[in-house]
Amino acid sequence: MITTSDLRYSYSNATEFEFPDISLKLGEHLLILGPSGIGKTTLLHLLSGLLPTTHGSISIAGTELNGLGRKALDRFRGASMGLIFQRYHFITSLTVMENLKLRLGFTKKNIGSTRIQELANRLGLAEYLNKKVTQLSQGQQQRLSIALGLIHKPDVIFADEPTSNLDDENCDKVIQLLKDEADLSGSSLIIITHDHRVKSHFQNQLSL
Amino acid sequence: MSLAYLAFRNMVSKPLNLLLSLLLLVLSVSLVTFVLQFSKQLNRQLDKNIAPFDMVVGAKGSPLQLVLSSVLHVDDPTGNIPMEESEFLEKSPLVSEAIPVSYGDNHMGYRILGTTMGYLDKYNVSLSEGELFAKSFEVVVGSTVAKNLDLQLGSQFFGSHGLASNSIETHEDHPYTVTGILKSNGSVIDGLIITNLESVWESHDHDHEEQVGVDEEHHSKDVHDHKGEHDHDHEHVNEAHHHEEEDHEDREITAMLVTFRNPLAMVQLPRFINENTSMQAALPGFEIQRLMNLLGSGVKTINGIALAILLVSGLSIFISLLKTIRERRQELALLRTYGLSTFQLLGLVFLEGLFLTLLGFLLGWILGRAGIWAASFITQTNYGYGLEMNGPDTNEMILFALTILITILATLLASTSIFKLNISKTLSNA
Repeated sequence: MITTSDLRYSYSNATEFEFPDISLKLGEHLLILGPSGIGKTTLLHLLSGLLPTTHGSISIAGTELNGLGRKALDRFRGASMGLIFQRYHFITSLTVMENLKLRLGFTKKNIGSTRIQELANRLGLAEYLNKKVTQLSQGQQQRLSIALGLIHKPDVIFADEPTSNLDDENCDKVIQLLKDEADLSGSSLIIITHDHRVKSHFQNQLSL
Repeated sequence: MSLAYLAFRNMVSKPLNLLLSLLLLVLSVSLVTFVLQFSKQLNRQLDKNIAPFDMVVGAKGSPLQLVLSSVLHVDDPTGNIPMEESEFLEKSPLVSEAIPVSYGDNHMGYRILGTTMGYLDKYNVSLSEGELFAKSFEVVVGSTVAKNLDLQLGSQFFGSHGLASNSIETHEDHPYTVTGILKSNGSVIDGLIITNLESVWESHDHDHEEQVGVDEEHHSKDVHDHKGEHDHDHEHVNEAHHHEEEDHEDREITAMLVTFRNPLAMVQLPRFINENTSMQAALPGFEIQRLMNLLGSGVKTINGIALAILLVSGLSIFISLLKTIRERRQELALLRTYGLSTFQLLGLVFLEGLFLTLLGFLLGWILGRAGIWAASFITQTNYGYGLEMNGPDTNEMILFALTILITILATLLASTSIFKLNISKTLSNA
């Protein structure tokens, strides 16, 4: 489902990051652990095609990322991947509901019309659907960020440091939520973090 | 959700930016459309009103003033001319028609014009009610006059001396009676009270009888200047019906409005009159052309200023879009992760600029038309002509195309950074 081989990347000519090969089946979870500066975010951006693969190869759901043109890659990423960023990114001129609709709108997938309501109910966002995203609390923004990563039932969800700003209690909650929702969506889940509290939740781990 | 909706929401999410760009656009568009429309309508209005006449013959003075007063009825007359001296025009083989007009009085600021039926025919008037005047002191009134002064068939009023409404001197011995109200045809007729020549003469004769002691010296001098051999004052004490007969020798009119029979007349007649008579001839087409050339430079200046504002507004749209793109870099990068291509992002920014332009142009156009509507009241009150409310014309289409072009340019210049957007970097260095 997700396989990489011989991945390397370097910004300018300084240090070159070398990444171990990954092989993950559909629906499996993977935790990638490593200290700051080891290239975790670089790996995630390579996997999601935000950075071009300059060395090695990545295949997701049978599609070679290298083989896709710019536009096709944009479309493939939009439909098959869900990204949950360390910092929350929303379209601030829109409401919570509109942000979720927007995320669904540009994928060609046929997702049931009740998906937004169901997901919002489970994530405790139902009563904030008509609010501007800027009016949400930190916790609500975090949950919206997760919702945006998996609303379209992607093949794979990438989460970048999803627990870095959270206390222990919320850390556990969010990880559990991510795992549950990934399972419900039938998606693979790849989390990269330096947060060792997350370790105990995953059997499948990779250290950089 | 469509890109257009997102562009719209993005546009309204920054009301202050929007307001500035919009204001500049509205200002320039309204100014250009107003000035173009106003000068166009003024031109058309003038052309329409001078069209029936090729030449005006009146007292010596400014030819433009003669045209303005006798054809367009806005300025004071240059003076009077003796009826007899101008009568040769009616017999000239070069002239197809010569219509005398005579001024003297007004009613509430609307001019009472003494003339012949031929004048009414020239403007193709038709009656909306009543009938044309048949004898002295019967009048037909233009539609604007009837409406604004609330005149009906059978209404009576006294003329006030002079052409301005603030005259206190009235001719209270002879009331005018309204026998007909004319249909509006958008010409000067709408703002006139029209009667026969005799009414104007008689009204002033009676006036003179009363004031004969006061005015005698001045008056006889006046007359002797023009027609020395007649005893004017003696004439006044004769009975009124006497005037209505063929006794026109010392009658004065304000001007003679002439239509030529052939182009040769244009060359010969004005010259002949100016050189051989005490009168002057003016060509309305030529005088109005001269006037419009003078106004034209004013129109050009205002349009120049408005176009400069339009360019500034284009610049403001450019800066506003540039700012938007900088501020929303992360959102644009986010949209790329949602599956939007670079060109869709470009489309998003372009749509935002386009909406701004369309809204600004529409508001500006409406404001320009509102200006015409407001100006119409002023011209209606002061000159008796209203302005029409027209749909968009060719010049405005060109202006619209120009505005859109400026937007496209502004968008393209502003959005170069979209092509260089590094999603990975933008999203990780928030």
